[in-house]
Amino acid sequence: MRGTLWLAWRQQRALIGCGAVVLLAAVVLAAYSRAGMVEDLRSGLFDGCDPGPLYCTRSPDGLPRFLDVEPLRLLGALNLALPVLVGMFWGAPLLGRDRELGTHRMILSQGVGRAQWFASRFALAALGTTALSGSLALLFRWWWEPAVNRSYGVFWYEATALTGSGPSLVAAALFGLAAGTLAGLLARRVLSAAAWTLLVTGAVAVLVQWTHRARLLVPPQRYVSDGWRPKEPMGDKWSTGHYGLITGSGRRDSVLECPYPSGRELRECMTGHGYVSRYYEANPAGDYWAFQWTDTALLGGLALVLVLVTVLLLRRRV
Amino acid sequence: MTGPDEPAALHATELGFGYRARGDRALRDCGFTVPRGRITALVGRNGAGKSTLLHLAGGLLRPTHGRIRVLGTAPDSAGARTRVALLTQDKPLYPRFTVADTLRMGGKLNASSWDRRVAERVVREGGIALSARVGELSPGRRTRVALALALGKRPELLLLDEPLADLDPVVRTEIMATLMAEAAERELSIVLSSHVLPDLEQTCDWVLLLRAGRVELSEDADALREGHTLLTGHVDEEPALREHTVVHRRRHGRQLTALVRPRGPVGGSWHVERPPLEEILLGHLQDGAAPKEAAA
Repeated sequence: MRGTLWLAWRQQRALIGCGAVVLLAAVVLAAYSRAGMVEDLRSGLFDGCDPGPLYCTRSPDGLPRFLDVEPLRLLGALNLALPVLVGMFWGAPLLGRDRELGTHRMILSQGVGRAQWFASRFALAALGTTALSGSLALLFRWWWEPAVNRSYGVFWYEATALTGSGPSLVAAALFGLAAGTLAGLLARRVLSAAAWTLLVTGAVAVLVQWTHRARLLVPPQRYVSDGWRPKEPMGDKWSTGHYGLITGSGRRDSVLECPYPSGRELRECMTGHGYVSRYYEANPAGDYWAFQWTDTALLGGLALVLVLVTVLLLRRRV
Repeated sequence: MTGPDEPAALHATELGFGYRARGDRALRDCGFTVPRGRITALVGRNGAGKSTLLHLAGGLLRPTHGRIRVLGTAPDSAGARTRVALLTQDKPLYPRFTVADTLRMGGKLNASSWDRRVAERVVREGGIALSARVGELSPGRRTRVALALALGKRPELLLLDEPLADLDPVVRTEIMATLMAEAAERELSIVLSSHVLPDLEQTCDWVLLLRAGRVELSEDADALREGHTLLTGHVDEEPALREHTVVHRRRHGRQLTALVRPRGPVGGSWHVERPPLEEILLGHLQDGAAPKEAAA
C-alpha cells in the first residue's frame, strides 16, 4: 500500500499544491475583508439596523446602508462551484489519465492489484477534497459570522451561504470527486470524463437548489396570526411566498381575496368573507442545519453509491 | 514437457476469451503447456490472439472460458503479481516522470523484490540519462526504460508483447542482447511475441504458435526443427507425400517445394533440406485459409 500511496502522492501533488494555494489566497482575502467588515460595524454606521430582510436605512438621508459583503459572496460562489471543479480537475483524471495513457496496465503488472490501485489514489484525493472543502466551508462561516442574517449582510438562505458553507459542502465536493472518478473509469478519456462530470455534477447542483426552493426535503412552518392584528415579522425566516387567509372552518385562501396589509379595509374584507386569521409559510433560521444535514445525507449517500459502482466496475473495465 | 509436479511457466486448459464489443472469440479451446526456464516465441498473424493471450497471462484480462495458470497460480493472484512481469505492446509509461522517477516508482511498487542495480544497468546500457523525461525519449529508449521496469522487478516469468516492434535493427539487437543476458543470469522464463521471425531463430527454444485464436503448435524449437523437412522435387512425386503431414506446399511450374512433418521415411526422389525455424513458422502461418483479419 505504501508504494501505491507514494505514486498517488507523486501524481496528485500538483493538484494538492493548487488546492493549498487557492485556500491560502482565500484565507488572505477573508482576513483582509473581514477586518474591514468588523471595522465598519464598530463605526456605529449599522447600529440602528433591524435584523429583518429589508434594506437597512438610516436617518436622516434614508439611503440604504450596505456592508461590503461582495468578497464573501465571491467565496460562496467559489464554494458553490467547488464540487464541479473538484470533479473535473481531480476526479476525472484520477483513473481517466491512466486509462487514457494505458499506464494502468503498467501499474497492474508491477505487483499492484486493481483494488489497491484504486483505493490509494481515491483515498488521497478524498482526503485532499475533504480538507479543502472543509477548510473553505469553515472559512466562509468565520468570515460570514459578523454579517449573519443581517439586512446589511448575508442571510442563511442565500445559495452562497446555504450551499457554500457547512458540512454539505464537504459532501458535495466528495460527490463531485466520486462522479469524476467514475466518469474517468467509464469514458477512458480525461476530456470527455471532465465533460460528463460537468454535466452530471452541474445537474445535481441545480437539482439541490431546486429542492431548497421547493422546500422538498425541509418543509416550511406555517405562522398564523389571529384576526387582523399585525403578523409576526418575517425577520430572518425564509419565506416561501405563500401568504393567505383562513376561514372559521379552517379553509385556506389566497391573500389576494383581501389584498390589504392592514387597517379598516382589511378588517371589513375579512369580516365580509368570514376569515378569522391570516398566515404565511416560511422556514425559520434554525432550519439552516436541517437543510445542511439533508444535503449532506443526500450528496454523501450519492457519493457512496458512485464509489460502490466504481469498485464493482473496476474488475470489468480495467 | 514438464511433469505434473513442476508448475509450468504457462499452462492453459480449454482457454477461451471473447471481446464483448467485437462479438467474436479472440481465443478458443486453447490447451498448452510452456515449461519453465524457456524463452518462448509466441507467433501468429495479426488478430491470432497473441496480445489477448499475454494479457490473460498477465492478469489484465480474465478468461471467459477455461483457465490459465502462470507458475502454478491464477494470474490475478497476489503471488503471481509479484512473480510475473508483463510489458504490453504500447509500453505505457508516465510521460511527465523522469527516468529516475520511473525507476523509483518500480522500487516503491515492488518493495520486496526490486533490484535497483539491474534496472539502472538496463537503462545505462542504452545511454539514457536518469534525469531525462520519459515523454521526450525516442521509442527505442522508452522500450528500454519499460524493460528496465519489468526486469528490475526480478520476475520469474517475463511476458513481452511485441517489444521489438517500431524499433530499428540496431536497437532491436541491443534489447534482445540485454534480455538474453538477464535470462542467462538467472532462472527467468520469457514469453515473447514478435513478427520478426529471424530475431526469434537465434533466441527462442520453445514455440507457441496461434492461428485464428487456436494453439497450433506448442513445442520445443529443436524438436520442431528436427521434425520438419523441406522437400523439393517434381510434381509427379506428390502422391508420395500422402502419408505425411504437409504443412505447406508451393509449386513453381513442374517443381514442388513442400514443408513436411514426415511420419516415417519419405518415398520418391526428393532434394531434402533441414529448414530453418523461420521457414517452419512461416509454413505453419501460411498454411490453409488465411485467418480473418482483425486488430492485433
